[in-house]
Amino acid sequence: MMVLKNIRLALVLIFCLFTAGKAFAQEGNEATARQVVENFQAELIAVMKNGKQLGYAGRYDKLYKPVSNSHDLTKIARIVVGKEWEKLSEAQQQKLVEVFNRFSVASYAHNFKDYSGESFVFDSEEETARGGFVVHSRLLIPDDKPVKFDYMLKEKGNSWRIINIIANGVSDLALKRSEYTSILQREGFDALIAKINEKIDTYSKQ
Amino acid sequence: MNKSCTCNRNAKIQQTFLSVLIVAVVFLSGCATTEVAEHHIANKADPYENFNRKIYVFNDTVDNYVAEPISDTYKWITPQFMQTGVFNFFNNLKTINVVINDVLQAKFKQSAEDAGRFALNTAFGLGGFLDVGKSVGLEQNDEDFEQTLAVWGVPQGSYLVLPLLGPSTWRGIPGVVFDTAANPVSYVGMPVQLIYMLNARANAEGALKFIDEAALDPYVFTRESFLQWRNNLATDGKSEAALDFDDELGWDEADSAAKGSDAATGNKAGQTLDLYPETR
Repeated sequence: MMVLKNIRLALVLIFCLFTAGKAFAQEGNEATARQVVENFQAELIAVMKNGKQLGYAGRYDKLYKPVSNSHDLTKIARIVVGKEWEKLSEAQQQKLVEVFNRFSVASYAHNFKDYSGESFVFDSEEETARGGFVVHSRLLIPDDKPVKFDYMLKEKGNSWRIINIIANGVSDLALKRSEYTSILQREGFDALIAKINEKIDTYSKQ
Repeated sequence: MNKSCTCNRNAKIQQTFLSVLIVAVVFLSGCATTEVAEHHIANKADPYENFNRKIYVFNDTVDNYVAEPISDTYKWITPQFMQTGVFNFFNNLKTINVVINDVLQAKFKQSAEDAGRFALNTAFGLGGFLDVGKSVGLEQNDEDFEQTLAVWGVPQGSYLVLPLLGPSTWRGIPGVVFDTAANPVSYVGMPVQLIYMLNARANAEGALKFIDEAALDPYVFTRESFLQWRNNLATDGKSEAALDFDDELGWDEADSAAKGSDAATGNKAGQTLDLYPETR
């Protein structure tokens, strides 16, 4: 009986050590900015390939984790409302982040719905003055001009997170910030949330 | 006799059109002045926002009720290969203007490529209906007079929404005038010009649909993407302003500087941003 107990203890210990070791190893092998981008692009292409079978809901579910793990959506939501962030109550800030998360995944699920031979290629990467990273890549589309995708990443804890995407020179962050601050100033917080929810709704129906 | 009659009629049509425009402008400015007091939002690039928004709504209405239905019909009755041919034809004519602007911007190698492309498509592509240049790897460059003015150092000026023509800037006005003058389509009769406009609207369909789908505020969305797109073209994709994402966080640095926090110690703007999720 005692022997059995010892063996079990030993097994538990080994198991603990093993998983701890694995965790440490993962910490040491933190993905680089380029890997974060390329992993995300691979997930996106995979979803596009099965886009039709998956349907909107399927694409949304499949993309939820890849999008939230590779983007710093909380920070993006905070940046796009600019100085207005401080004027929001804590509950409003939470609401904005929550709705913005769903909207970001919904936009991906809606816009990357099928596959016709597209592929991403890596071009180069560079460090920015304030410790961020820019990953330059292109989306190749058969029979069409390639689209330049530049990803801006910042470190969050010990992982790199996408914070802005610039497609053919048009910055998503700058675009959203103009829109969101304008709506907040002109129409207020509730109107902004209602408009985002309305978009998510339209996306889900197409 | 007959000729003077047509002239008269033309003059009349022009007059009517002009008066409709004037009425529209007066009416719209009337609306604008009554609402100016309501909004004190000044965007640096768009000081005439309230007025521009009126024109935007006017253009949008014209598009919804006139241009879009006609363009949809055109797309419905015209086979795809014809649409592509028509697009290629007008696109090839546009290349003349591209070559002129290549030269004006001292991009001589590029001007030779574009001239070669034009010659190739005109001679071997059935007068431009087939894009032979593309199949031999000659990509078309995108140049126009507004970009040339930018290269020459003319400031962009404020954002403007022109009646019927859409988004522009002060610099865009001489740009459009020059580009129109350098396009052979401007010197031919009505049916060709009509097809030219149908083709233009049909090609804008994708972008317009995307704005409809993605924009929370279509006016602001159009303005921002237009200004960024033009800036990217004028700088041939080397626009640092759009790339420097620390700039996007710049306001936050100013914030923290005002509060006398991290900025003074040389900390990153991003770090002040990071605090928020955790402190909540």
